[in-house]
Formats: sequence, C-alpha cells, structure tokens
Amino acid sequence: MKDFDYEVVVVGSGAGGAMAAYTLAKAGHKVLMLEAGRDYDPKTETPMFKTNGQAPLMGAGNIDKDFGFYDATVDGGWQVPNEPYTTGDTSDFMWWRARMLGGRTNHWGRYSLRFSEHDFKGKTRDGLGADWPFEYEELAPWYDKTETLVGICGTNTGLDDMPDSAEGVLQPPPKARIPELLVSAAAKKLGIATAPMHRAVLTRPKDDRQACFYATPCGHGCSIGAAFQTTTSLLPMAKATGNLKIITDAMVRSVDVDEKGQANALTYVDKKTGKDIKLAAKVIILAASACESARLLLNSKNTHHPNGLANSSGQVGRNLMDSTGTGVGAHIPALEGRPIYNEDGHTANHLFIPWWGHKQHAKGELDFPRGYHFEIGSGFRAPGSGVSGNLQGYGKELKDQAKQYYGAGVYLALRGEMLPNEHCYMEIDDKVTDKWGIPVAKFHWKWADHELKQVEHGLKTARKILETMGATFTRPLPSADKAILKGGQIIHEVGSTRMGESPKDSVTNQHGQTWDCKNVFVMDAGVFASNPHKNCTLTIMTLAMRNATWLAKQLNKGAL
Amino acid sequence: MAKIINEKNDVQYKSTITRRESLKWLGILSATALLPSLVGCEGSVSTTNIANVVGDSIKGHWPDLTLSPITVKGYGKDPSMIIPPKSPWPKTLTVEQLTLVAVLADILVPRDGDVPSATEVNVPDVVDEWVSAPYERQQSDRLSILSILVWLNDEAKLRFSRTFTVLSPAEQLKIIDDIAYQKDDLAEEYTRIVLEFSRFRKLVLAAFFCSPEGTKDLGYLGNVPIAGDYPGPTDEAMVHLNQILNELDLV
Repeated sequence: MKDFDYEVVVVGSGAGGAMAAYTLAKAGHKVLMLEAGRDYDPKTETPMFKTNGQAPLMGAGNIDKDFGFYDATVDGGWQVPNEPYTTGDTSDFMWWRARMLGGRTNHWGRYSLRFSEHDFKGKTRDGLGADWPFEYEELAPWYDKTETLVGICGTNTGLDDMPDSAEGVLQPPPKARIPELLVSAAAKKLGIATAPMHRAVLTRPKDDRQACFYATPCGHGCSIGAAFQTTTSLLPMAKATGNLKIITDAMVRSVDVDEKGQANALTYVDKKTGKDIKLAAKVIILAASACESARLLLNSKNTHHPNGLANSSGQVGRNLMDSTGTGVGAHIPALEGRPIYNEDGHTANHLFIPWWGHKQHAKGELDFPRGYHFEIGSGFRAPGSGVSGNLQGYGKELKDQAKQYYGAGVYLALRGEMLPNEHCYMEIDDKVTDKWGIPVAKFHWKWADHELKQVEHGLKTARKILETMGATFTRPLPSADKAILKGGQIIHEVGSTRMGESPKDSVTNQHGQTWDCKNVFVMDAGVFASNPHKNCTLTIMTLAMRNATWLAKQLNKGAL
Repeated sequence: MAKIINEKNDVQYKSTITRRESLKWLGILSATALLPSLVGCEGSVSTTNIANVVGDSIKGHWPDLTLSPITVKGYGKDPSMIIPPKSPWPKTLTVEQLTLVAVLADILVPRDGDVPSATEVNVPDVVDEWVSAPYERQQSDRLSILSILVWLNDEAKLRFSRTFTVLSPAEQLKIIDDIAYQKDDLAEEYTRIVLEFSRFRKLVLAAFFCSPEGTKDLGYLGNVPIAGDYPGPTDEAMVHLNQILNELDLV
C-alpha cells in the first residue's frame, strides 16, 4: 500500500466498517480496510433461484452450513475452522462469525427497526443497565440519512415503540400475506397491534441496485442488490470514490503502540502466506464485530496498556448482551387447505408484532423490565428437507394430509431486550490460541430473572395469540429457562466496548472514540450501551455514519 | 427416470444413471448379489433378537445394528452454491437396501395419475445421499433407517418367510398397515417401528416434494421473479380469510 496514502485503517467490512469507510471515503479521506475473510462477490456467487432439491441434503443445515446449504455465510457459522472460542465451565454461548468480505451483512435478516426514545435512557427510567450518552433525538436525523442510503421498506405507524422516519425516507412495504393478516386480527382482539416490518430490502430501485422481485431467500445473499449487504452497496460505492482500498484475508493480530503508548500501527496475519505484516496507522477504526474488536483490544497488551488497549476502565469484554430468543409455533386448523398463491414476498415476515407494553411498564404492571417483539413465520414455503404436520399412513391419503397442512403453520419468534449482568462477559482464554497463534475469546454467560420472566410472558402471549387463531395446545408451555435460546444464538451480541459519559465505566465516548486512545475508534455493536430488542444492524450503521462523520471533521481540523 | 424393476421375483431399484454409471452398477450388483445380509456395508451387523417369537405372535423385535461411523469429509464451509456438488460423498446403501427403500418410497408416495411416484423422481437416491452423509443428524437417521429396513425384512420373514421386497403388494401392505399409524391402542411390539417409520416417511415426502414434479404437486408457486410490487393474496385467498375470520369471531 505504498502508493496509497491512507489516513484511516478500518478493521472489518461488515455493517459498521463499511459504513465508516463509505462515510470517510465520501468525505474525501483515504481509507484502508482489512477484512479477515476472503473476497466475496454476491453478483457472481449468490445462488439465485436455486431450489433445495438441487442442493445436497435438500439444503438442510449442518456443521458445515449451519443455516442451510445456501446460506450466504462463507467460512463461518457457529464454528470457524481452526479459530475456536471457549466458554466458562457453566456457560453456554454461541458465537456466529463470517470470514468473508461484507461479513454478516451478506446473510442477515435485514430487519431494520429504529431504537426509540425508551431505548436510550432505560437506566434513567428503571435504574437498570446503562444509559446511552445521548437521546433518541440526537440519532433521529442520522437514522433518516442511513435509512435513505441503505433503502428500508416499511411505514410510519405512529406506534410508541416505532419512531417515525422523516417524510419520504421509507420505501413502501409489501402487502401482508394471509397468515399474517390472521395473526393481526387475533392480536388486535387481544389489544396488540401489528405493523409492517421494516427491512433493508428495496421495493424501489436505488443507485445501481434493483428493487426486490420477491423470490429467493435474502439469507442466500442477493445478486441484484435489493436485500442490503455491504458487498453490493457501501463497499463498491466507497471504492468508486477512489478513496477506499481493501485487503482481504487479513486477520488482525494486534493494535500496536509507540514508545509513548500511542497507537500507531496494526499487525495482521496475511492468511495466504501466514506472514505477519505491520501496517502504520494514523487513525484506527475497529469494526470487526463486538466480540472480535474486544478480543483485539484485549490482545493488544503492552507496558502502557497492561490490561489491553483502551481498557483502563476494565470494561472491555464486559456488558456483553445478546437478544433473548424463543418462539411458539402451532398448526392453525383454519388455515388448512387454504387457497394457494405465491407467498414468497420479500421472503421474511411482512407484518410483525412490535412491543406494545411501554404503557404497562410505566404503570408498573409487568414483572420484567424490558420489552420484546414477535416476528411471524408462516407461508407457503419452498419445499425443503422438512415436512410439517403429524402425518399418518401412506399413499394418496398421506400426500393429501401433507397438502392439507401446507401453509397452515404459524410461528411466533420472540426477540427481546436483555440487561447487562456481571455473569455475561468475554475475556481472553490464556490457554488457547487460534491457527494464527492469536489467543481466543472465552465467553461467560448466565441469563438473569429479567430475561426469564420476559420469556415467560412472551411464551404465554404467543400461545394466547395462536389460541385466538384457533390453535390448540395439548402440552403445557416449556419453562422459560428451557425455552430461552442460548446466549449469542440470536447473533445480536453487543456491549463489549460500550460507550458512555465517563472513562470510568465505559470504553468509548459517544463518538466511539476510545477514552484511552484518541486515534482508536470502535464502530461496531460493541459500543452499544444497551441492547434493545430491535435487531442491531440499522443502529450499527447509523452510529457508524454519525461517528465517522464526526471523525472526518476531526481529521479536517487536524485534531487527531 | 428411476424405477423399480420387478421381474420374476427379482426386484431391483434402478436409478437415473448414465451408461458409464450403469456399468459400475453392474459391478456392484455382482459383488453384492452374494451377500446374505441386507445390511451389507462395512462393519454393520444385524443381531436381531427374534428368539421370543412364538408362532405368529411377535414381541417387539428390534435390530441391534452396530454401524461404523461415516468418516468422509463433508462439503466444507465454502462449497460452490452456484454449482452444488452432485455427489458430495460416496453413497453407502447396498442394492438390496436401496431397492427396499424404493419399494417403501413408492408405497408412501405411489404414482398418482400424471404425478410420478417417489421412485420415479429419484427419492431413493436422495435417501441414499442423506443416510450416507457424514453429519450428526444424518448419521442418526442412518441408524434409524437401516434398522427399519432390517426390521421389515425380519418381520417379512417371520410372517411370510420371504424378504420384504419379494412379498406381494398385499402382503407388504399387511405389514405397513401395522406400522404406518400412530394410535393410542398401538400394540407394544409396534411402538418403536411406528416412531422410526414416521421419521422415514417424512424424509421420503420431503425428498418427493423437493423434486420439480413434487414441488408442482404440492402447489408451491414461488421462486419466480415478479415485476413491480408484490401482488399479495389473491381474491380467492382473501375470501377464504374473511370466512375464517368470521368463524373465529375475529372481525
């Protein structure tokens, strides 16, 4: 990179890294990006229109491809070969990683809900967790800019958990499908509203990306750019400015410092040769994912930073949060044998159930502090390795049953907010290293009563909604501690380098700038002070845009 | 199109195969024809205990198979998704096993007018690929499915003194009728096989519906690009919705 006079090095090419790089490149700053995975081009690598029947094992998932054969994730999943992680003795934690350009944006659910005013000041309200160092109002215009750039379909609902976007920002959402309309009617009877899900899926063309044509699951990736991933949008757009260069297969080992303890370089492993390469760096943005960035800081120990870089607070790796997750599914007799039509849509739920309990919380009517939402799973899905229903017999009778059951199942998936607690954190395992000799992350996890009570409430509510739709349950609901998914399993891990008002209890300031090293920033979900139930990616990008804009101004002023 | 060839008591599943592959098959056939046991793959031993058979009454026999694990590699974490691997791992079912799978698959999903049977759309090959895969779930299904196959032959021998595939269709259905329904008054000797058979049934159905003909038969209408906005439910679907909303008192 001798011929490229970069000012900023960005580690990671996913939601945060790509938005930071795009923002800086657009502002005229030269950026060098390091990505641990291989190069990846959705235009040529996405299995568009491929059927499960064309895949091994009818597309079923396994340890090689956890979310199915066609899942866009490359060289990753719950395990990355030769790059292990460990857990504490009594802890269950699952860590999803991708080793590819664009990171996890290539396969994410594209759910893009704004955090609301409640979400930034939870501690002020109920004394739990941590406040963010700003209010919703501060982020609102940045959400507008991010949503406009990314392309989000949805509507302004006026619901208290769904702040409105500015006029003209959102693209029209697709029409709801039959099972979703039934859920909507049942929820309404119980006093619960449904709303169009906001998704980073274009329903109108934008720049050189096409509008969705309502086929082939977004999780496979999207060669036409309708479903947002950085590899079809921010990265090529940033590269087109001439201000971004990307090195793939570059696994960063450490952030290095000069004799005064000032960060001035990075060392990465060139995976193709196995050699270490030291790269001078004026400004460093870590956006390697919450836990990779924290791991990198903790591994960047030196005499000036004996507990790891930017860790004078001891908070790096702490405050680790995921979303709570569980779900209840049911067969809905009323949906049996219903008229068939194409229900692919944008391949995720068109309607969902936003959190409806803010008023109940304010009145102290709930025995858990934070909210959740339900995503609706339903529809005439493409055939795959599973067939639903309690099927009996054989022959025509059997096939007729399967057809009768087709499209008659409804699943309500809960995604909820958890609070940070002292038992949920990551550290460095001093006994285990990865293939490159880099000490690995070790996770500790324990759900608190807050989460279990929330899940219990969610299970009961989901069952009530499904019963209102005519479902019958022969078995009692599982207990919350059995039903709750494992830590990390929802892949919304955040908080490990949280931002705050004070260097005593946070790692970065409100701009993602580490308190200890003015030229080291974190722009992934590590900086989240809390983990609202609304899926983290939109807010990662919004913060990265805001904070990279601030950084660009600092660079212009010569402040760094 | 694959089919079951049934000539003079010699029943055999024939896959959709090239001439080159068919030569290979002939080789395999001559090699396996002499194998006495249905479970002919390496290290597989049937130790079915049928000692407690008295006359026609059969008390819960279940084969105790010891299968050596499949240790070949999977397709890895970065397979081409544009051209998925056609044969990601060697298939392991013997001709006899495959034939029995085919007979069962066609009992489960027989030809239905213009709609082909399971075997006609190569379901046995999908089952073979499935049980031969090196992954945990598939290896667990492999034990289950190979056990079902042995159980069926043991049962056929006990009842009719012949293997399952050469029984008459009526004889085959006599056995299948006893194992294809989960009911409250299920005789004890059938509880295990009914459970295992139920899993096999779903695998066969899934493989059938995953074929282009099966997908069409199921009625799935997606995976086609739509120009313009997503049209949403048809009028007919909305009429049906309004009807059920009325019935459920949700209007």
